[in-house]
Amino acid sequence: MQEDSTHVQPHHAAEAHREEANPQGGEVFTYLLKGLGDHHELKIFFGSYKILPIILVDNGFHVYSNEHTMEEAGQYTLHEGHPVRTSDGGHPALDLSITNFVAYEFIAIALMLIFSMVVRATVKKDPLKAPSGLANAIEAMVTYVRDEMVVPNVGTKKRATTWMPYFLALFFFILILNLIGLMPGCHAATGSLAVTTGLALTSFVLVNFIAMKDAGVGNWFKHLLGGAPLYIAPIMVPIEIVSLFTKPFALTIRLFANMTAGHVVLLSLVGLIFFFQSFLVAPVSVAFSVFIYMLELLVAVLQAYIFTMLTAVFVGLALGDHAKDDHHAHAH
Amino acid sequence: MDPKAFAWLSAGLGVGITVFGVGTGIGRLAAAALEASSRQPENAGDIRTTMIIGAALIEGVALLAGVICILLAVK
Repeated sequence: MQEDSTHVQPHHAAEAHREEANPQGGEVFTYLLKGLGDHHELKIFFGSYKILPIILVDNGFHVYSNEHTMEEAGQYTLHEGHPVRTSDGGHPALDLSITNFVAYEFIAIALMLIFSMVVRATVKKDPLKAPSGLANAIEAMVTYVRDEMVVPNVGTKKRATTWMPYFLALFFFILILNLIGLMPGCHAATGSLAVTTGLALTSFVLVNFIAMKDAGVGNWFKHLLGGAPLYIAPIMVPIEIVSLFTKPFALTIRLFANMTAGHVVLLSLVGLIFFFQSFLVAPVSVAFSVFIYMLELLVAVLQAYIFTMLTAVFVGLALGDHAKDDHHAHAH
Repeated sequence: MDPKAFAWLSAGLGVGITVFGVGTGIGRLAAAALEASSRQPENAGDIRTTMIIGAALIEGVALLAGVICILLAVK
C-alpha cells in the first residue's frame, strides 16, 4: 500500500503499526483512537522506547526502571496498557509511573528552562541593547502576557509582577505542550483529562489563595454571598459555590476538548484512506488534513492564550473591588 | 431497536444540533465584528482580537458537546 506524504500528519499508529496490526475496515478508527491515550512507554517521533520507570503503590512501594525489569520481576505485568498484579489480575492501588504524557511534560519543562537560560544570558551580556533572535521573541511574548493579560485584570503593575511567574509558566507550558503535540509522531499531553485537570486545579488554588491573601479569609466567605443582602443567602450561596467550581471545570474541558477534537479529526481524515483502501481518497483526504492542520496550529496557540487570560480574569474577579481601585478600565 | 443503535443515533443528532447552534452563534459574532469594524476602522485590530476570543470560548462549549457525543457513541 502506498504511503501518503509523510510531512502532513500521519500519526504513528496509522503508519508504523500498519504492518503488524493490520486492522481491517471499520476497526481502523477504533485502533487509531486507542493510540491517543496514555502509554507506559515513551512514544516520540514514530519511535517507541520502553525506558520509562513504573512506580506503583500497592501495599508498599514498587519501583521498576522500565517495562522489561517489571516483566522480569514477575510480580506485575502489563494488561492492555495498565500494570496488573500477576497473582490475581487486580489493579494496583495507585499508579504513579512516569507515563508517556508525564515524559512529555518533563520535556516541556526542560525546553522552558533552556529558553529561559538562553534569554537570561543574552540579556545579562548587554542589558541596554535591543534584543534580537530568541530573546526578542520571548521578550515580546512575556511583555504581551504581562501587559495585555495580567495588568488589566489585576490592577497595579506591582501586583502583576508578584504573580507573573505563575502566568508565564502556565502560558509557556501549555503553548509548548500543544505545539509538541502537533509534530509528527508526537502526542499532545494536554489532550488528556488528567493533565488539564491538574492545570485547572493549580489555577483554582492560585485564584483562591490570592483572594484570601488580599482580603482575608473572612472576606472570602463573604464573597460567597456575592454582595447581596443576607436574607437571600440560602439561594445565593449554593449558586456562588457552584460557580466557584464551574470555572476551573470549564477550563479543563475547554483545553482538553480542543486538543483532542483536533487530533481525532486529523486521525479520522487520514484513517479514511485506510478505511476505503483506495488511492483515490488520498488527495482529498490529504488536502483536508493540511487545512485542519493549519487550524490546529491556530487552536493550539489560541487555547494557551485563553487559558492564561481566563485565569487572569478569575484572579481579577476574586480580587473584586481592590482591582478597580487604582487603574482605569483598559479595553482590550 | 438495538440500544446501541439508539446511542449512535443520539450521538449523531446531538452533534448535528450542536453544530447548528454554534454555527449560528459564531456567524452572528462575526457579523457584529464586521459591522463594528466597518463603522470604526481604527478599532479593527481590537475588534478582531475580541472576536477571536469570543469564537474560541463558544467553540469550547461546542467541543464539550462533541466529546459527550463521542462518549455516547463509543461506550
